[in-house]
Amino acid sequence: MESWIKVNQMEKNMNDFKMGPIELEFESGMIHVIVGGNGSGKSTLFKQIMNLVTFDAGSIEVFGSNVAGEDEGWKKRIAYQPQTLVGCDEFTGRQLMQLISPLYPNWNQSLFDDIARSLSVPLNKKFGKLSQGVQQKLAIALTLARDTDILLLDEPTSHMDIPAKSRVMDLFVEWMERGEKLIILSSHQTEDIRKLADYLLFMSNGKLHGKFVKDELVSSFKKYWLEKELSSQIKLPGEIDRKNNRLIVTNDAEKAEAYLLSHKIGWIEAESLEMDEVISYMVVNKNGGVL
Amino acid sequence: MDLPIRLAKDSKTPIYHQIEEQVKALIAGGHLQAGTALPSIRALSKELEISVITTRRAYLNLEQQGFIKTTQGKGTFVAEVEADKKKEVTVAAIYQALEKGIETGLRHDYSIEQIEEVFTEIIAKLKEKGEKANGELD
Repeated sequence: MESWIKVNQMEKNMNDFKMGPIELEFESGMIHVIVGGNGSGKSTLFKQIMNLVTFDAGSIEVFGSNVAGEDEGWKKRIAYQPQTLVGCDEFTGRQLMQLISPLYPNWNQSLFDDIARSLSVPLNKKFGKLSQGVQQKLAIALTLARDTDILLLDEPTSHMDIPAKSRVMDLFVEWMERGEKLIILSSHQTEDIRKLADYLLFMSNGKLHGKFVKDELVSSFKKYWLEKELSSQIKLPGEIDRKNNRLIVTNDAEKAEAYLLSHKIGWIEAESLEMDEVISYMVVNKNGGVL
Repeated sequence: MDLPIRLAKDSKTPIYHQIEEQVKALIAGGHLQAGTALPSIRALSKELEISVITTRRAYLNLEQQGFIKTTQGKGTFVAEVEADKKKEVTVAAIYQALEKGIETGLRHDYSIEQIEEVFTEIIAKLKEKGEKANGELD
């Protein structure tokens, strides 16, 4: 595990939007999934990493090179897939492949052919004539075949059907096993997160709310059905939600349980949360605070 | 290949430890023979829906304890495990399961004596059943 991308105290001020300061590292060997709503700043962060959008303070380094610097050699080692490909509509998949492949020294033709075939992408149809889901499949074939060290994917599976999504998840896993690799993807899909993520990152309003090892985060959440009502004056450690003063949700299960035990408060059942519940609490923290 | 591992999300036992225990049990029980290829860390992580950090920790511990071995570029395999060590795993699993039951009793404010009574009762019932089963066989 090496830190391949470093974001140092990066800030950007737009008219009605302030981004950062963001301090963050992405490590090799890991799949990082960034979760955040529209306008959270995740697409902007991707573009800043690719030096397509500027920032006002701080710095971003990819393989030790400043992205805003003269040397752009690092760009050959990173493949970025935006949410929508602009300017491709008039080209067929095959033509796009012929345009893109010479730009990448590691272009892997057989990998492209395999992916296009396994996802049933028609290469003779114009991009603009394809459905959004098929456009995404083609985009993935065009991105993965570059065989770069880093993949930066902005909501790559959002329009795909379930079988295609599952195939693409396998492709990502296979791609990670091609060597020392790093994937950063943004996604709203719980499946992507459950099956792929090593680290989860949450963004909203241009701020980053932490980077978590997926299963450590999930296991820190727990809900308790208490035997008796808990006075609304008392707050459990890590409490983030409660219903009827009997059902309490905490994001610090260890401390909450210690508290219940030491105060002789009994519970009928303690249960872990599902991934989508954890994400909901992380994205929309009901108490307004930042976790 | 896939492994029949089931993680108990609500358990207090850390996930890496659950994986270790279950892989050891599969090896000790003879379900995984020496030389069997294990899934890669990435593949198992996807299967179990956990981070590679957790899976790697389990594999490292299993390797240090001599249950599996990793060959660079080839993958991870079940190691030759001595019969004594396999037996140890089985004994440890039995101890652990019983300890868990006893802890449940204590949590419900049972005294050690009361738990002992329950234990004796269960054993007695099992013996009775066993005798019946044997009787039918005869």
